[in-house]
Amino acid sequence: MLEIQDLHVKFHNRDREAVSGVSLTIQDGEILGLVGESGSGKSVTAMSVAGLLPRKQCDYTGRILLDGQELLHADRSVLREIQGAEIGVVFQEPQSCMDPLMKIGSQVEETLRIHTQMPKEERHQRALAAMAAAELPDPEGICDKYPHELSGGMLQRAMIAAAIVNRPKLLLLDEPTTALDVTIQAQILEMLKKLNRESGVSMLFISHNLNVVRKLCRRVAVMQRGVLVEEGDTDQVFYHPQHPYTQKLIDAIPTRNRKEERP
Amino acid sequence: MKKRNPYLTVGLVMTGILTALIVLGFFWTPYDPNAMAAGPKLTGPSLAHLMGTDSFGRDIFSRVLKGAGTTYGIALCTVAVGAVCGTVLGAVTGYFGGIVDDVLMRLGDVLTAFPSILLALVVISLLGPGKTGNVILALGLVFIPSFARMARGTYAGLREVNYVKSARLMGASSSRILWRHILPNTWSVLLPALTIGFNNAVLAEASMSYLCIGVTPPDASLGYMLSESQGMFMSAPWYALGTGLTLVWMVFGVGLIGEGLQRRGGGEV
Amino acid sequence: MRYTARKILTLLVTMLVVSLLTFAAFDMISGDPAATLLGTQATPEKVEALRTEMGLNRPMLVRYGEWLAGFFTGNLGVSFQYRQPVQALLGPKMLVTLCLSLVSFVLIVVVSLPLGLLSANGKLDGLHTFLNQFCMAVPPFFTGILISWCFGICLRAFVPGDFPGLDRNLGKSLVYLFFAAVSIAIPRVAMTVRMLRSTVISEMNKPYVRTAIARGNDRRQVLWGHVLKNSLVPTVTFLGQTMAEIVAGSIVVEQVFSVPGLGRMLVASISSQDYPVVEAIVVILAFWVVLSGTLADLVNRCIDPRMGGIGK
Repeated sequence: MLEIQDLHVKFHNRDREAVSGVSLTIQDGEILGLVGESGSGKSVTAMSVAGLLPRKQCDYTGRILLDGQELLHADRSVLREIQGAEIGVVFQEPQSCMDPLMKIGSQVEETLRIHTQMPKEERHQRALAAMAAAELPDPEGICDKYPHELSGGMLQRAMIAAAIVNRPKLLLLDEPTTALDVTIQAQILEMLKKLNRESGVSMLFISHNLNVVRKLCRRVAVMQRGVLVEEGDTDQVFYHPQHPYTQKLIDAIPTRNRKEERP
Repeated sequence: MKKRNPYLTVGLVMTGILTALIVLGFFWTPYDPNAMAAGPKLTGPSLAHLMGTDSFGRDIFSRVLKGAGTTYGIALCTVAVGAVCGTVLGAVTGYFGGIVDDVLMRLGDVLTAFPSILLALVVISLLGPGKTGNVILALGLVFIPSFARMARGTYAGLREVNYVKSARLMGASSSRILWRHILPNTWSVLLPALTIGFNNAVLAEASMSYLCIGVTPPDASLGYMLSESQGMFMSAPWYALGTGLTLVWMVFGVGLIGEGLQRRGGGEV
Repeated sequence: MRYTARKILTLLVTMLVVSLLTFAAFDMISGDPAATLLGTQATPEKVEALRTEMGLNRPMLVRYGEWLAGFFTGNLGVSFQYRQPVQALLGPKMLVTLCLSLVSFVLIVVVSLPLGLLSANGKLDGLHTFLNQFCMAVPPFFTGILISWCFGICLRAFVPGDFPGLDRNLGKSLVYLFFAAVSIAIPRVAMTVRMLRSTVISEMNKPYVRTAIARGNDRRQVLWGHVLKNSLVPTVTFLGQTMAEIVAGSIVVEQVFSVPGLGRMLVASISSQDYPVVEAIVVILAFWVVLSGTLADLVNRCIDPRMGGIGK
């Protein structure tokens, strides 16, 4: 459903290309993990898909096709129709990525307000359902709260709810669990898995943590310095890395876990 | 920092020209600024009288040179008083903290909420109006809290920074830390603040002199000259224009320097 | 609610401190009001008698308490200069200054908010900066002189130096005050536009704006739906300070335009060392300044639910 072909992005104020020649595909209902250290270009790849590249500050070539529709060079007005409707985005730091002065309820409903003619009551019901799907306790009560009144984990769930409320085809998750502690991280991963199973939404899951990706994704792609160095079945990549960089990433995972989990 | 910074250049050129003229005015003016009938009365600008003459036949250009010098000098003294006292006060209270810090800063909060001209008027009315020394003292006092607050912010912030801690561990004395380790870091904030302070001082002094409770004759000051010129605006509009535009030139130039410094320091636009 | 209560308490304490300081300062400096009142007829016995009669022999704090009580019941003492109760002198002047301040404030808000938002597109940065610095460099009394000449003498929109009086001709008075307000407003408009522009631009670069765009908002929706509300808090604080600065501006501009307000009275009283009047005006203006700050805080509290816990 999503096809990235030979994507190049270069920011004007940098010497090196942030992304140089990345090609990826995501099948319907698939969760693809994208791994790499910070600065490896994985976020820029996702931003290109989401139409969030600062177009005036960079040069970009290649093609990004969502069900056959070109996104990379698409007109802003075309892009706006897709943003929030067909592609949902979840960012890393929920505290700064939610509007601090808007109630959670309105933020979750926002995409419905923009993209549909739904009456108010129906919008509210959809928002509640999305929040329930994101496993937020007491959605009704949380609707009336402001972001600063929620914990990081709850906020991230709210942000996921806001991203899925309009039932997009594709969910971009840019390090959604990095800022959270381990137990909540695990809960959210489980929740995402369930979401994928039940609604069939495709996901691009970005993380620098191979271990997290392994729990969630069947297929994984590894990026280093803007280049895709390895791509394949998660277990395959994990146990038989072909690229020295992937090996390094695996070595970076605390050893005890790895040995225990190794069959 | 390859970005162009025209503000600093233009500001420096403007201020440079004015400063040169003022310095010149200390030693030489085309005519005696207070001499009546230095030329014919109420003539417009000409080569002989660059800004014309007033109703007493005094040469306005000479008066403006002297007046700008007074205003400029008072503003410099004021900023010096305010900046030195304020920075020392803010540095000491910010670095050592404690209850003195709390009380002084609360007081500073209240004082900085007041417009500087209002405070200066209060102090002037206590000290007695119409004396140049009192004007400097009043304005200097008024500017202390804002400089103190600024310095305090930097010092209180840097107190807990690692390199200051390590200097302390190595046994550097408090005064050495305050002077050698922290002060250089305040420049990027202090320099733009100095230009803003200077401009506020110029405007406040000019306002007070305009109100005839600041600098009074025989010392010429741009503010007093403006109030004088208002009465003869019909017959000698060049008097008010020459004086007023000189004042605008002064503040505009220094304002641009401040803007340029702020941008160079990477501060907010 | 607790926030409001605390703010009002702070307001009262601040006012108490400010008025005490003012009272103490003038008490020390102003010499012996009894001697001043008696003037040339002063003999030691007469002065002493008057001192006892006026209660000047009692401790300062007691007299401060009385003065404060007087302040709230509308008894501000007697002017040295005019031998009249201060409140009778100041009443009508306060109204004039209040009108002038309000006209200036409305003018500043009406002009600078749209300009600030328009200029926040981030283009023409250099032009904006130069224009801004220039407007800030023009002192209100110079603008005032130019406006009197241009609109007063040439275009005859008003008669400079001849304030009609609010009670006699309200319309004409307001026109007169409008021109005075323009000269107060120009530098403040420049500052407000500058502040608003930089606030909106910096808000535009915050992460939540990226989220809003990712949800499909266009630029206009981002600005009106998200950024504007977030820019409001610093703007309101700034407008609170503006209210205070207007008072300062009016002191000078009233002189330029011969508007019979508090500022002009203050200057005249300072020149003639009429301390009861100076004291009263200073405390009134101080109250105005502190009040506008508190009002701004309270308005902000309604906008931003995060305030109150940690707000100063």
